[in-house]
This record gives sequence, C-alpha cells and structure tokens, in this order.
Amino acid sequence: MVKRRRKLVSSRKESNPATRIEKNKGALYDDFDKNENHIRAVYSEASDLIFRHFYIAGKQKAVLFYLDGLVDIQELDDSVLSPLMEEFTAEYSGVKELLEKKISVSGVKELTKLSDCVKKISSGCPIILLEGWSSGFALNLTKFEKRAIEEPPAEAVVRGPREGFVETLEVNRTMLRRKIKSPKLKMKEIEIGKYSATPVILAYMDGIADENLIKEAENRLKRIDIDGVLDSGIIEELIEDYPYSPFPQLLSTERPDVATSHLLEGRFVILVDGSPFVLIAPVTIYSFLQASEDYYNRFIISTLIRWLRYVFLLISLLLPSIYVAVITFHAEMVPTSLMIGMAASREAIPFPALIEALLMEITFEALREAGLRLPKQVGSAVSIVGALVIGEAAVMAGIVSAPMVIVVALTGIASFTIPRYSGASAIRMLRFPMILLAGTLGLLGIMLGLITIIIHLATIRSFGVPFLSPMAPLMGSETKDILVRAPWWKLNTRPHLTGKYNKYRQAPGQKPGPKHGGD
Amino acid sequence: METGKISASQMAFMMYPVVIATGIVIIPSITANYAAQDMWLSPILASLMGVLVIFIALKLHQLYPGHTIIEYSVSIIGKVPGKLLGFIYLYFYLLMNAGGTRIYADFVTGAFFKETPLFVILSTIMLVSSFAVRGGIEVVGRSAEMIVPFYVIILTILCFLLVADLNPKNIFPILSDGLMPSIKGAYTPQSWFAEFFLIAFLLPYVKDIQKAGKWSMISLGAVLLGFLATNLSLLFLFGGELTERFNYPLLDAVRYISIAEFIQHLESLVMAIWVAGTFVKLAVVHFALVIGTAQWLNLSDYKPLVFPLGFLTVLVSIWGISSEMESAHYSGTIFPSFSLVVQTIIPLLLLVIAILRKKHH
Repeated sequence: MVKRRRKLVSSRKESNPATRIEKNKGALYDDFDKNENHIRAVYSEASDLIFRHFYIAGKQKAVLFYLDGLVDIQELDDSVLSPLMEEFTAEYSGVKELLEKKISVSGVKELTKLSDCVKKISSGCPIILLEGWSSGFALNLTKFEKRAIEEPPAEAVVRGPREGFVETLEVNRTMLRRKIKSPKLKMKEIEIGKYSATPVILAYMDGIADENLIKEAENRLKRIDIDGVLDSGIIEELIEDYPYSPFPQLLSTERPDVATSHLLEGRFVILVDGSPFVLIAPVTIYSFLQASEDYYNRFIISTLIRWLRYVFLLISLLLPSIYVAVITFHAEMVPTSLMIGMAASREAIPFPALIEALLMEITFEALREAGLRLPKQVGSAVSIVGALVIGEAAVMAGIVSAPMVIVVALTGIASFTIPRYSGASAIRMLRFPMILLAGTLGLLGIMLGLITIIIHLATIRSFGVPFLSPMAPLMGSETKDILVRAPWWKLNTRPHLTGKYNKYRQAPGQKPGPKHGGD
Repeated sequence: METGKISASQMAFMMYPVVIATGIVIIPSITANYAAQDMWLSPILASLMGVLVIFIALKLHQLYPGHTIIEYSVSIIGKVPGKLLGFIYLYFYLLMNAGGTRIYADFVTGAFFKETPLFVILSTIMLVSSFAVRGGIEVVGRSAEMIVPFYVIILTILCFLLVADLNPKNIFPILSDGLMPSIKGAYTPQSWFAEFFLIAFLLPYVKDIQKAGKWSMISLGAVLLGFLATNLSLLFLFGGELTERFNYPLLDAVRYISIAEFIQHLESLVMAIWVAGTFVKLAVVHFALVIGTAQWLNLSDYKPLVFPLGFLTVLVSIWGISSEMESAHYSGTIFPSFSLVVQTIIPLLLLVIAILRKKHH
C-alpha cells in the first residue's frame, strides 16, 4: 500500500514540468525560442510571470523574465533596460563583456543552465536571455515588502537593545553582521524544502565554535527532506536530539543580542527565511531561565532576579500539587490557624482538592489560550470573564475555594517569570501529571515525579551537551553564570562545553578600581 | 557494556546517600542501644571500616584496572570459585537493596501512608530508580549531583532548627563504662560504612581515576559528619536512654521543631529528603547489581536486566522480610556480620592473594 502510494507520488512528480526541467541538467539551448518556450511552459498558468521582448542596441533580440511584485521595477528600468536598449556601437563578443560594459547593477550572475534560470526567477531575480547565445544572466534586483524592525513583544526588556528579528532573512543576517563585524562570523546557506526552497543560514564563529558541532548541525540540516519550511519551529523538531521530550532542546529567540551572545559563547545560530525566530544550540536548561537583561543590569540585582526565577520555576511546577497533597494527605503540615481558615473555605466545596485543582488549572490554561487567539477587539471580554466569573462568582457559588483561586493565580503568574515561552510551556504541561501524582500519593508522589523529571533532564542532551550542565556534571567555576550572575570582569572564560576551543573571552583583571587609573 | 563515564566527584555524590540515606534513620537507635550517651563516638570508630574498604577497593582496582570485583575475582581465585564468589556478591547486594527498600517502605507507611499497600510504595521507588539505571551510570551520577546538595542543605537546616531544644549536658558522663559500649555500638554502623565497597563496581567507569581516592575520602568524611550531626542532635535532644526507644528517632526529633508556632510539623520534609536519598541509594546499588549480573553471565548489555532485577528486589523485600520488627532485627544483627564477611574480609583476602600472585609471577 505504502509502496503504491509512493509510486503514485513519484509518477505525479514526473509529470510536473518544473521537476522535469530541474532534472534536465542540460545547458540552455542554442535556440532562443526554445529556451523561452521552456520557461513559459514551466510557469504555465502563473499569471504573475512577466516576460518582455526587446532589442539590445536595436540589434540583438532578448527577453526579460521576472515575477511581478518580487522585483525592483524602477531599478530594472533605469539600470538595465534603458542602457541596453539605447543605440550603442561598441562591440561586444559575449555575455560577460556586455555585463561589464553596459549593466550598472552590482549583483549579476551568468546562467548556463535552464534549471538555474527557473530557480532565479522563483527567488525573485529578473533574468535576461539573448538570441544566439546559450547563456543568460540573472540580476539581483529582488525587492518585496517587509515588516519594519520592531521590539519583540514576547521578549521585552527595560534595559537593552529593542530591535527584534523580522521575517526577512537578509535583514536578520544584516542584524547579526552589524553586531559582529569580524569576518570570523561565518554564515553557511542551506536550502531546505522541496517546493518552498527556503534559504536557511547556519551562523557560527570560526575559531570559537567546535568544528565537529558545526559539521553535525550541517548534517542534520541537510538530512531534512520536506515540502516546505514555514517557521524555524519545523526545523527545530527535525533536528533535535530527543524528539519525545517535553523540553525544547534548541532555544528560539527574536532578539539579535541574544543570538550574538550565544554565537560568542561558541554556539551556532540557525536563521530561517520567513521566521523572526532564530534557533540556538547547544543549550542547557539554564538558558531558558536567563533573560538578556540579566547581563545589562547590575550583577547583584541580576543574581537576585535569577534566584527569584528559580524559586518561581519550582512554584509554577509544584504549587498546585503541593496544595493538593497538603489538603489531601498532610493537613498537619499547615499551621493550625491557617488550616482552620482553609478548612472553613473548603467546607462547602463539593469536589475533592484534586478535582478542584485540575478544574481550575485547565480553566486557567483555557483562559490563556483564548486570550492568545481572541481578536484584539474582544480581548477585554476575556479578562472580565476570567476575573469576575472564574474568580469571584465561582468562589461565591461555592464551586471552588478561595485558597485554590489564589494558588492557581500565583502559579499562573509564576509560569510567566520564565523568560522563554517554550521553556515555560514545558513546565506548565508537567504541572498536570504532578497534580495527579500529588492527589494519589501525596508528597511522596510529588517527590517521585520530581525525581523522574530530574532523571529525564539528566538523560537528555542538546547537540551533545548534557542538558543540566554545568550543575550536573558539575563544573565548579562555570556555576558563576548559573548560581549567580558574576560581574562582567569575572566572566573571563567561555562555557567549557561549547567554548573550550577558545577559552578566554576577555583579559583578566578588569575589575575597575583606583589602581586602574582615574582619580 | 557501559560506555558512560563519571567523574570522581560524581562518584562521591553517589556514595554519600548510599550510606547515609538509610543510615541516619535507623542507625541512631541501634547505636544508642549499646553506647547510650557515648553514641556519638561509635560512628567515628565505625568510619575506620570505611577507610579500610576504600583502601581495599582502590588497591584491587589498581591491580585490575577497568574491572569490577565480579571480573577480577575470577582472575584471582580461578574460574569456578571466582564465579561462586561473584554469585555471593550479587546475592548480597540483592539482599542489601531489598533490605534498604524495605526500611524505606516501612518508614513511609509507618509514619505517613498507613493505608497504602507496601507494594505500591516499594514498586514506585524501584521503578524510578530503574529508570535512572536504564539511562546508564552517567544519568545516575548526574541525578545524584542534582539531588544530594538539596539533601545536605535540608538536613543541615533541620539540625539548625533543633538548636533551641538541645541540651548539650546529655553528653555526660563521657566514657563512664570505658570504650567497650562505643565499640559495640559501632558494630552496626561499620556495615553501613563498609558499603563504600560499592566503589569496586563504580571505579571502572571513573574518568579521573587518580582523584578517586581523594573523593572517596571526602564522601566518607561527609558521611561521618552527617552521622555525627544526627547522633549528637538526638543525644542532646533526647539523651542516650530515650533515643534507643524510638524506631525512627530523627522523625521524632523533627516533630519537636516549633519556631514561632509557624515552622512546625516538618515531618513531611523529612519524608521528602528521605525519598530523594533513598532513590539515589537504590539506583547506585541497583546499578552495581545489574552490571555485576551482566558481567557474571557474560552478557553484552545490562539494560534488559534492569527491570526484571528491580522486580526481583521488590519481591525479595516483600517476601524475604515478614515484618518491620524482623527488618530492624535483620539490620541490627545479621546484616552487620554478613557485611563484615562479604564487604571487608573476603575483599581483604582477595587483595592478599592477588598481591601474592602478582609477586609470584
């Protein structure tokens, strides 16, 4: 059955003129009309293909092809068509000479294959074919509408650069290049997607990143065989180490400064055309708990904020389950006066704590999801429904207890202290099995669940780097960027597992002070 | 068979809960039974046994680098006696793990989950430990590295919270009946310290083997400190006479904690670290058992053995030990002697024979 389907697919492929020509690796024909007809056959029924005949210097017949809307027409008219069409007498013997003498466009490429012509047209370059010559040329005059650079809404900062990546690969590439002006910043381009032919860039720092790591990343990218790449999320799922893990093993960010800092620590960055999210690997679990701002604020504050995040990570994972466990199994843990209040508010509630917690948590997740999907105009409706109906009315009606509402609200807030949304989602999801465990085995269940999560985290790796490093395996001096955010004049070495080929990132002894001059 | 490698410091993290997890809960009352107010002295004496077995294990590994005791016992005393000895080791560690799981389960059911069937408590912790062992020694090592620091921190906090209730005068009179009671009291703890012989199964997988001795001693020192801290806290709190009457004196001590009428009833916290510590202990011993069995049977992979042997451990701890009383009796009398033979005397003899044979050649 599968075989037959494959056959069907492949036979359909054969009948597609585009693939037929791509398979015909042959050069352009000598016959001008044959070339033109071929290209027009490939783009049959494509109403946006524009072709225009004209005469070079009033003598040689030529044809221009381009896709409407992808090309800078003004520039095409001024720098290509008008110099070529005006009468000139200078002799030229080939495409190369013609290009050198007459066309004032910087990006030009000679084409000798039909398949290349088709590729260039599709990616937005106008091409010109000439009568009597078996070669044409492509002009890099691509221009299309792009989104302006904005501050990424999911990764806002108080202090730090406010620019974010956009959907256009060229713009994103430029943003990285503007931050790292060294030629050591390498960008390998790989095309992924049978139909979308999406350019994907693998960026890394030569001399800092491990060569084997880059080779491995390149291999994994080249292995991908897919119809189209719409977002970097698709690439992420196809190259990660542990596909069944709830934890993301590649970091996605919209911020160029985050991408740059990871490049300088010996990691690689994958930019995908059409996605403002770039992928970074190899990362550890701590990367999901670090915000870019940590490195721009004063280190003491950053350290405290980091610890606040660690605590709230635990709260967002465990608070509902601890509440359920305490109410169900370990009521003696709560101080008596508090327990009396809690028991009083739970008196009228018809559900056991486990059901109550699940009910409220699922409602919260639904509110979050709805808030995300709702059209902006009705957004305020959700907050009214959420705050009044779920909170106030449900408590008044005796469906949920007030402490439960507090617990769920606190948990919800806690999950948004995790700077990376993809990391926070994993934690939010794991909350539910933890609640179930707490409802069946109490604190014992919570511990068993927690241990299982630790075992899982100890198992997974991101491109060969243990996910819990540098805490497990413990690397003493590297905890300077995990347990605390050491001041910049102490962050002299790169992380060991990604930056060991170029250990030092700055000169030692840069602690400012009187002995360094000044008055 | 096992391709993963751990560092010497990871080995130290792994060995710490092996000894202390079950030790601090049941050892104090057994020690107090013999040594009374001198119970703090017993762990110090018993730790000498730890030094000895670490020395033996390191020496044996030096003579046969990259091999566990299951493999080099065959090289030292010949194929049939060696295999027989290997079987004794596997049997011992199976019993030890079953006993450890049972102590854990009795504690949890006795103090917290009176209605929950023993089988559920036993099998859930064994399942979790088996997951870790299946992940390989690296996973066990890293999990230990993540868990043990919290274990130590919480234990320290609990001891500090007790400070207000402590009465240091309970320590007197020191050595009123001579040294003998403390030595008797050290007999049971010595078997716990002798569990450091488990490094004989871990040393082949240690990357920086030259640091193994140092880190083993650090781990031993930390264990000794842990025992001293608990024994002294209990002695200061209850006195020697009372400590022996409790099954789990540490739990009863924690019940004393009451600060500002808010921080109180921290027993559940004891259970939480108890679970975490037992998990690491079971995972390490189970790893030794599984890898030893695979080597004993000349298998190419140990992973298929993880869950069956885990199940066997659970069965032994249910059927092999009929009650909590028997478990305590076993830990206090039979196990120390068994351990003395298997974890100290036999390895010592093996070492002597190995050295003689090497000299002979």
